[in-house]
Amino acid sequence: MDKYQFLTVLSALLFTMGLAGVVVRRNLLVVMMCLEIMLNAVVLSFVTFAVRSQTLAGVAMTFFIYVAASCEIALAMAIVVLLLRHRCSLDLAAHQDLKG
Amino acid sequence: MNQMTLIPLLPLLGFLINGLLGSRLPRRLVALVACGLPAVSFGLTLGLFLRLAEGGAPFTETLFTWAALPGFRLDAAFYFDQVTAVMCLVVTGVGTLIHVYSTAYMAHDRGFSRYFAYLNLFLFFMLLLVMGKNLLLLFAGWEGVGLASYLLIGFWYEDPEKTTAGMKAFVVNRVGDTGFVLAAFLIWFFAGTLDFLEINAFFNANQPTPAVMNTIALLILIGACGKSAQIPLHVWLPDAMAGPTPVSALIHAATMVTAGVYLLARLNGVFLHAPEAMTIVAWGGALTAFAGATMGLTQFNIKKVLAYSTMSQIGYMFMACGLGAYPAAVFHLYTHAFFKACLFLGAGAVIHALHGEEDMRRMGALAGRIPFTFSTFLLASLALCGVPPLSGFFSKDEILWSAWSAPNGSPALWLVGSVTAGMTAFYMFRAIFLAFFGPSNVPLLKQQGIHEPPASMSVVLVVLAIFSAGAGLLGMPGVLREQFGLSAPFFSFLSPVFAPGATGEAGHGTELVLMLISVVVTGAGILLAWVFYGRGRSLADRVRRGAGPVHELVSRGYYFDRLYEGVLVRGVDRLSEEVLAKRVESALHEGTLVKPSEGVRATTRLFARLQTGNVQAYLLYALMGLALILWWGVAHA
Amino acid sequence: MGGVMLLFFSLLAVLFTVLVITLRQPMRAALSLVGLMVSLAAIYACLGAHVVAIFQVLIYVGAVMVFMVYTIMLLDDRDTSYRQVFSRLALPAAAVASLVAAALWLLLGSLPSVPVPAEGGGVSFTFSAFSVAFMRHYWFHFELATVLLLVGIIAAWAAIKEGSNG
Repeated sequence: MDKYQFLTVLSALLFTMGLAGVVVRRNLLVVMMCLEIMLNAVVLSFVTFAVRSQTLAGVAMTFFIYVAASCEIALAMAIVVLLLRHRCSLDLAAHQDLKG
Repeated sequence: MNQMTLIPLLPLLGFLINGLLGSRLPRRLVALVACGLPAVSFGLTLGLFLRLAEGGAPFTETLFTWAALPGFRLDAAFYFDQVTAVMCLVVTGVGTLIHVYSTAYMAHDRGFSRYFAYLNLFLFFMLLLVMGKNLLLLFAGWEGVGLASYLLIGFWYEDPEKTTAGMKAFVVNRVGDTGFVLAAFLIWFFAGTLDFLEINAFFNANQPTPAVMNTIALLILIGACGKSAQIPLHVWLPDAMAGPTPVSALIHAATMVTAGVYLLARLNGVFLHAPEAMTIVAWGGALTAFAGATMGLTQFNIKKVLAYSTMSQIGYMFMACGLGAYPAAVFHLYTHAFFKACLFLGAGAVIHALHGEEDMRRMGALAGRIPFTFSTFLLASLALCGVPPLSGFFSKDEILWSAWSAPNGSPALWLVGSVTAGMTAFYMFRAIFLAFFGPSNVPLLKQQGIHEPPASMSVVLVVLAIFSAGAGLLGMPGVLREQFGLSAPFFSFLSPVFAPGATGEAGHGTELVLMLISVVVTGAGILLAWVFYGRGRSLADRVRRGAGPVHELVSRGYYFDRLYEGVLVRGVDRLSEEVLAKRVESALHEGTLVKPSEGVRATTRLFARLQTGNVQAYLLYALMGLALILWWGVAHA
Repeated sequence: MGGVMLLFFSLLAVLFTVLVITLRQPMRAALSLVGLMVSLAAIYACLGAHVVAIFQVLIYVGAVMVFMVYTIMLLDDRDTSYRQVFSRLALPAAAVASLVAAALWLLLGSLPSVPVPAEGGGVSFTFSAFSVAFMRHYWFHFELATVLLLVGIIAAWAAIKEGSNG
């Protein structure tokens, strides 16, 4: 196993753990953090492949991922504040409205 | 865009103007557009006709390619040969006259512009019908005149009875149209073309089998029967008199109902190779002529008498077609258009004078009050009865002579025709004696209002009466031609279209004798009418009581309506109500809709449990899906 | 040497991830997340992608974490999610996640290892090389990204405003 394979596996592992974290935690803020972990796992795989292929496309892509992540965080934080004001709880179990 | 294309397009333009803007235009302008454009069409037709009469070749004009398939090409094309010329002249000529008449007749109607829009639309479709170069274009016109007829019969749509009559005409015509379409399919299947010239050429060169030829011919006949009100599809025509009287004159006497005859004449190449079907056409025509005349004997509604008379006269034309005497059929079509239009318009003038009264039992003694209307009506009646030398005499005599002398004619056929001629004379003069002579039965209230028609109506009546009297001179019978060294321009004009029919061995002596007999029969009919209705009406009443059930049978139109009502309408009703609605539909509904929907509902209830509203649960499902996909990948790596 | 560093920071990253998922206090979880980000930045540096490493520290550890901390200040520790860390779906989720991880291990472990291209033959991930390539090829995307950022900020503002009204 060379280092690129190793890093790819690491990225997959981080992604899976992040996804699992999103599902298992109750606290909304920690869930957001787990989402960030998933994004970082993706960035790691991009960088790995960019270095391996010695091209700049992957690196450019990470830049755009950062932009998207910033936007997402800005919006998500706004939503968290609103939810908090609405229900006075950060527990996801208290917010079970997503059904028809 | 040449002269020929303009002929049908001008009435269409009139329809568009009056249909879209008519309600906002002044009535004078509406009338001017409605009468002017068909008049221009008539002028153009006349120009083309003169070029044909000088020996020009038939005109063809291809507008565009309608459909192009491998090995098959269909053009939207017009064709103008001698038969088309006659038809076009009748349609635009009589049509224009009736438009002029209508401006006075409909002057006080609320739907003035709508009426003229429909009438122009009818002219457009009728011209499309007679000028179409192929069956499909003809069919487009065919359906279009049906539509216009439906719209005009039900013109006074507030009256449910009239809209019902319109619907009846439409539905009965559908039956005939089915036959027409099937015939077109068969022709296309065997000949591979829908162009009239090519169809006739194909079937003249090679016939598939006699059975096929007869099937095609009979299917065409069914279509023609529907449009031309022949037995057994005639039931719509008497009811169609619900429309305004000029409409009855134009559509249900002069033009549209003769479309069937035109169709038979156009497709003569098919019929000439289907002798059995020809015989059926001839005898069917004779039967309709006879039955129509008998039904006309007992009617009291003046328009219905004329309607049955129309049916009977078209029966004559069908008989001529069945005998292969197409020129005679077209000749009778042409003369009939004049005198029947004149009769209808005369009846319209009477109805107009009596403020909508159509029952002859409430007329009488009108000859002195409206002598002008009476004289045109009388002249046209004499023409219809076939009194020499008026037009009906020549055309009817030509057909009767064919019935005797044509190869598949017979004395029996001639006898039916002659008896019908006698009855024609009887019912026409019965109508005249009832309406114009005898004691006046007009209610006092209406007595004051009886008046001669206004000028625009009178002019039309005079023109039509002149043509009723003189049009026949264009087609002198053979015996007179030889006797006086005359020519028959009508027949020589048509001769390039129709192959000369075989003439029998019977000589001119026989022809002269038959002619005399028919004149005598006509005279007898008139005399009989005088005996029954002219002298006093006690005899007629006594005979009617004596005949009892027979009179009932005839005056009810041989119970055709009741038969269709009882067998077809009731039968379909029962089938749909008792069998389909109660048995089939409920079972089908239970099996295909209710049960499966219950199953679907149960399944959804199961799956709805998964939808908890918890975001994390949804993410878990996504995670499970991811696991499944990945393990599928592992298994197939 | 590089291999050892890579291994070390990878282990660190996994450790911090586990901590983020398991720690009760959101504040501590956030600090672990910072640790994870820094470890990843170190990994990028080891790979020679200094540009990304610097971005990582600047944007995430700088900007994003400020957001996080700011939000945590709004919290109070009587929240139910403090007493109960895991949701009801924790066990099945963990099971499925381990299945996914195992599958990924199997799949990625079976990929062929490609020989690393000769050192120095390719692009060097320096700031100047990155900037030149970025402005030459990705300027349009860059503009779009700035618009996206603007829209995101406006959306956040609008959401707060509308939410407070309703």
